[in-house]
Amino acid sequence: MNPSRREFIQRLWQVIVAAGASSFFSFEELLAAPTAVNRPRVLWLHGTSCSGCSTAFLDIEQVSVVEILTEIVDLVFHPDLSLATGEQAVRILDRMASEEQGFILVLEGGIPVTLPHACMMAERPMTEWVERLAPRAGMLVAAGTCAALGGIPRMNGTLAGSMTLLEFIRHKGIEKPLVALPNCPMKPEHLVYTLLHQIKLGRLPELDALARPLRFFKHTIHERCIYYADFQERHYAERIGDEGCLLKLGCQGPVTRNDCMRFGHNHNTNTCIRAGHPCVGCASERFPRQIMLHAHGDRRAILHEFEV
Amino acid sequence: MTNQIVVDPMTRIEGHLRFVTRLEDQVVTDAHCTADMFRGIEKALIGHDARVAQQVTQRVCGVCPYGHAEAAALALEDAMGLKPNANGQRLRNLIVGTYHLQDYLLHFYTLCALDFIDITAVLGYQGRDTALLGLRDWVTREIASAKVFPASPFLPRYEAAYCRDQTLNLSAVRHYLEALPVMASLHRMVALFGAKAPHPVSIEAGGVTTIPTLENIAQFRTWLKAAAAFIRGPFQDDLVAVAQAFPGYFKEGKGHGNLLSYPFLPDANGEHHAFAGGATIAGQYRPLDLNRITEDSVRSFYSDQPDRDLKPLSSRTLTPIDWNQFQAEREKPDGKYSWSRAPRYGGEVMEVGPVARVVNTYHAGTNPALTAMVNQFNGAVGVTLADYNSVMGRHLSRLINALLILERVERDIEELEPDRLGFVERAVPRNARGVGLTEATRGALAHWIETDDQGYISNYELIVPTTWNISPRDASGKPGAVERMLIGTRIADPENPIELTRIVRSTDPCIACSVH
Repeated sequence: MNPSRREFIQRLWQVIVAAGASSFFSFEELLAAPTAVNRPRVLWLHGTSCSGCSTAFLDIEQVSVVEILTEIVDLVFHPDLSLATGEQAVRILDRMASEEQGFILVLEGGIPVTLPHACMMAERPMTEWVERLAPRAGMLVAAGTCAALGGIPRMNGTLAGSMTLLEFIRHKGIEKPLVALPNCPMKPEHLVYTLLHQIKLGRLPELDALARPLRFFKHTIHERCIYYADFQERHYAERIGDEGCLLKLGCQGPVTRNDCMRFGHNHNTNTCIRAGHPCVGCASERFPRQIMLHAHGDRRAILHEFEV
Repeated sequence: MTNQIVVDPMTRIEGHLRFVTRLEDQVVTDAHCTADMFRGIEKALIGHDARVAQQVTQRVCGVCPYGHAEAAALALEDAMGLKPNANGQRLRNLIVGTYHLQDYLLHFYTLCALDFIDITAVLGYQGRDTALLGLRDWVTREIASAKVFPASPFLPRYEAAYCRDQTLNLSAVRHYLEALPVMASLHRMVALFGAKAPHPVSIEAGGVTTIPTLENIAQFRTWLKAAAAFIRGPFQDDLVAVAQAFPGYFKEGKGHGNLLSYPFLPDANGEHHAFAGGATIAGQYRPLDLNRITEDSVRSFYSDQPDRDLKPLSSRTLTPIDWNQFQAEREKPDGKYSWSRAPRYGGEVMEVGPVARVVNTYHAGTNPALTAMVNQFNGAVGVTLADYNSVMGRHLSRLINALLILERVERDIEELEPDRLGFVERAVPRNARGVGLTEATRGALAHWIETDDQGYISNYELIVPTTWNISPRDASGKPGAVERMLIGTRIADPENPIELTRIVRSTDPCIACSVH
């Protein structure tokens, strides 16, 4: 055992003593304990995000959060979960930026390029953090619509010049396997599937041209909609609360590739359409649009795009 | 001798926060908080349909989107001169109230508890609880491994005086794990009527688009019973036990003491709110006067002029400074230092949040259940209302909020009528103005909307809880609410300044909200 490791365990031993746990096992037992199995390390960063994807991640039910943290991956840093704060967090990130072995970098939120100071961490812009960390990662995950497709931080009228993760690495000439998981917020099942695919099968799931897993993004909401038969029969809801296809109310289902109809939000508890609201297209390239809900008789342009 | 402490990034809050404190003899003499992110959403809304604000402003925050959904809907309803029907109001209360409950658990367990509770206590666990045994064995294996960062994300942490009561440590760690599925279940309850959480879509001006059914009401009740048992049991017990284990924290993190809140959680007719609006300044409670609200960006990274005493909707632009100006400002001793602006109430710095809701409602005397509960907790914990202006006062207030909101949610679900639409349709208003007021868990939230002759947004303004709390200095040089809370704090070990992070986290900052 090298001396620095022994020293490190000694420091931790002091913590254990302070915790009153020293009577339960000895320093020698600690030294002799088996080495943990290698799990892929995950580093999670927030760009110009709202933390919605992180919050959604905590809602995962297919596997428990604790199982993800202790058995599936090794979450070296997460802004909302890590006890490490301030300099401790910077030390972790700096260390990862000098790592030779790959890790999985998850980015939530956009990367402001025109105004790099619009997203700062430890006095460095997010552009610089991603530029340092992405080349060291083995795989990148663009979590949520902002990082995957642009979303809110680059809606019409914003000034920060936000890029998606894929755009940013191309812009910087970084070549890395990347998976884009749009949805606002990201569906936690999509992330877990992607991680498990990589861990169990050693490769990424099959992706489309925008790096979205085909498993979730092959079909539009419209193609699998519970009201598809109504659409074919031209049975449209005219007002909120009516039965029928919601297209005339501004539904974005036809232009939104997503699997909500197969597996809805919050562990399949509901979907926007089942909740009586037209799809707002939160996983689409066009999110957010100028109009998202048409009241009855609203003649402002939008419907012509769908050729009702 | 450390004379400056910088914490950047501040973790276990929402968003990008940096703070810098100056110390003399280990006591904080000055503090600056920097909100380190900007998206420019409110002015980007200009040109979008008035109803888009509901969906887009939610994305200001993935932790408290419901508050923005409600405030946007209320602002548009104000412009329309419309009120939801009783079912619409109940549905809205259920979505927003349930989301508050989720948010209180998230804040206490996931974000704050491990600042007080000693997670390494699991190393000494000798019982038969499989979750604790699993965690113990995992931490042991991790520590013994050759990894550079073992047991992440739970280590490293500030090494400081954590709770020494091992029984409390173990039960709170157990509940830290148990709270996660309860939070997921509360989000599912939001989704039953809101379609999803985060970012429920169904709250619209006019009510809620979901038609409640016998099935989803039954499902909601079932999940509510389990969540209620956790909130009234473990959550209440842990929070009170932590408050009793750290009585000194009823004296730490004192702010200016001025408290602002908006009316929140009405009955089915949209009246008799469970929490009163108003302002307590220098101990005196007064009803709310929106005309007293101004914003100032003298120390914020924007170049617009005028930069002070701005009323909501008085400017259609918000112009960020460029990279070079940003660097120059950071070099100046009195330069701009935050993307957050500085809202003021009659020129005063105000704290918003759970304490403001509790204290203002107590003073207003409008909710006898709240008054009784405050008196009961004050007796049990041995504090007075004056002690609420503190780290532990904020945590205790969240518990009081949660228990009262839980009762309201339990009543609303029983009164909800199945198969009855809670939505009144109305065209988007032309050339209209409106304001919507509500409370997110982290405090007073207001949206102002102005529409053009086509019903598109011509101006929008958000003044958000964390903007009040985390604001930088204003034109007069007055520090923001959290900056003031940090000043005067004694730091035991400048290498592990846990006193500061406990204070900042007690206000539940949401930086994405504050700078939108």
